[in-house]
Amino acid sequence: MIVLVGLSHRTSPLPVRESLAFAKERLAEALQRMRQEAAVSEAMILSTCNRVELYARSDETTGSGTRLEEFLCAFHGRPLPEIAPYLYRLTGADAVRHAFRVAASLESMVIGEPQILGQVKEAYQTAQDAGTLGSALNALRNRTETGIGENAVSVSYVAVELARKIFGELRDKNVLLVGAGKMSLLAARHLVRSGARATVLGGRTFEKAEELAAALGGRAAPLESLRSELAAADIVISGTGAPGIVIRREDVEHARAARGGRYQRPLFLIDIAVPRDIDPTARRLEGIFLYDLDDLRSVAEANLRERQREAAAAEALVDREVREFLEWQKSLDVVPILIELRERADEIRRREIERARKHLGTLTPEQEAALDAATSAIVNKLLHPPTVHLKEIARNGFAPEQVALIRKLLGL
Amino acid sequence: MPSHVYLLFTLAFYAVGALHVLLQALTRRKLLTSWTVTATLIGFALHTASLAQRWTEAGHFPAVGLHDVSSFLGWAIVLVFLMTYTRTRVEALGLVVYPVAFALVLVSNMTPAAESDDPILKSFFLPIHATLAFLGYAALFVAFAMGLLYLVQERELKSRSPRRLYYILPSLERCDSIGGRSVEVGFGFLTLAIVTGMLWSYRARGVYWTGDAKEWTAIIAWVLYVVLVLARHRTGWGGRRAALLGIVGFAAVVLTFVWVTVASGVASAAR
Repeated sequence: MIVLVGLSHRTSPLPVRESLAFAKERLAEALQRMRQEAAVSEAMILSTCNRVELYARSDETTGSGTRLEEFLCAFHGRPLPEIAPYLYRLTGADAVRHAFRVAASLESMVIGEPQILGQVKEAYQTAQDAGTLGSALNALRNRTETGIGENAVSVSYVAVELARKIFGELRDKNVLLVGAGKMSLLAARHLVRSGARATVLGGRTFEKAEELAAALGGRAAPLESLRSELAAADIVISGTGAPGIVIRREDVEHARAARGGRYQRPLFLIDIAVPRDIDPTARRLEGIFLYDLDDLRSVAEANLRERQREAAAAEALVDREVREFLEWQKSLDVVPILIELRERADEIRRREIERARKHLGTLTPEQEAALDAATSAIVNKLLHPPTVHLKEIARNGFAPEQVALIRKLLGL
Repeated sequence: MPSHVYLLFTLAFYAVGALHVLLQALTRRKLLTSWTVTATLIGFALHTASLAQRWTEAGHFPAVGLHDVSSFLGWAIVLVFLMTYTRTRVEALGLVVYPVAFALVLVSNMTPAAESDDPILKSFFLPIHATLAFLGYAALFVAFAMGLLYLVQERELKSRSPRRLYYILPSLERCDSIGGRSVEVGFGFLTLAIVTGMLWSYRARGVYWTGDAKEWTAIIAWVLYVVLVLARHRTGWGGRRAALLGIVGFAAVVLTFVWVTVASGVASAAR
């Protein structure tokens, strides 16, 4: 069974969440301690600015829940009575549902915000690296990471999405970075991850441009080559701290013309500088798609509206995932195997007694009882080791093919 | 079953497809479900049966008169759409194709079949010429649709406050490349249709070219497509202008079409 203890923006104020958040560097240690101190077989910690949640696998949920709460407080040195009112505790199907809802961003402060899925993925990865992820949480992970979190509100994410709506495939597209700010780096990293090639134009501090280019696996060029680089670019991210226009309308027109016959190829310009780097009138040119920060924000808001409309569909998806997960879990349950095994053994015992009775003649009630006790003892002694071991192994979870093998071995 | 009964069932299945696509567009992002595709395939099978049946009923290939022409064109458009969809998985195309296929079959259902025992219609040129021409029209229709989607998506992108369609429609480059491919295919079919039409005319009347209005419009449309295909290949011309030209070219084809079917009531070289 999956047990979840946590707190979120819905149940607690920021200072409380802050005091219980797990620092990245201490997560591995925390996971080990959590598994040990709460006596659970699997452990995962999701810690973001909006929520702190401990996911665990345990056979006895009530005790584990309490121990998880105690661990959370002990780890951060906070008294439990003070924290308890902010905590929620979910088990089984409710915990599974919650996990899916969190990953689908249905529990987020801003419904549909995209960062949460990445944070969830990272949390699972950390747990895997720490070796505290077993079959149950792993199954939850696999089902969480597929298909959820398509829309976006963060500015860099929006830029990538827009690029996809213009170019479709981003592989081998040329991204030109003018200026080497943190925002440009973020936006470009998303693009590079999708297969685009980066070129960084540096101004006075050329080393910075080279550094950034190295981080992105691209190359650096001096700002003087702006026009020629512009002609080769598909996507331009401009974020210099310059006080005036850096890319003039003539530069854009020139770049278009320099593309020769292929000048109808769209050019996607992203201006993330304040004050703006790119002449806003360039957006009127054919085949030029220019977005400044306000435009990106407006697209982000549209994405958000779209996402809320999709929330209902996402809820339905979550429902289906929960059902499938629970069915899967049930199929791995060891209890039905044990019951079946015992019933079958008992049936054989009775049948054999009936057969033997023909040769034994009439028995006294004492003899009857002794026969029954003796045969039962044989069955019990034979079944004892497999029962104990099956239960033990089951604690770590089975793969479906293991269950099949066990059934086969036991003749079920 | 007579052909018009098949056609009525066809209409029902296409209606399901059209309604479903539009409903999906309003509520979700996945436009074509396996449901829609199944309904379309059943509709298409019935449609094929209807055409085969009509061929025996009419005694000649069913490409004469508004009833036959709209049904056959609808069939060709659905066929080309299914092929495009299998290759590219572009679902948004359904937004244009389904209503049009439905409308064409509806028109066919509402118009009486034109009967004619003109011996020229028995020529084996009719099925070849008509099939080539209709597949060409259908491919050009797909190019037209992709051009339309391109312009809409471009407008959404330029608006900087995208609405629903932005999320549904494919990327500009995709619209452009599929549109370009459709133009090439359609252009090939149209060329072959014109050649077979001329041969047919020569066999029937002894001249390749009668110089009437429909032949002129067909040639004008053909020239437009030559320009478009050459422009794309020679200069890599694409994007907005190609989309516009694809739309204009198709408008010219539609003009020819309306002229031929409504004004004269008889297909290409039938007179």
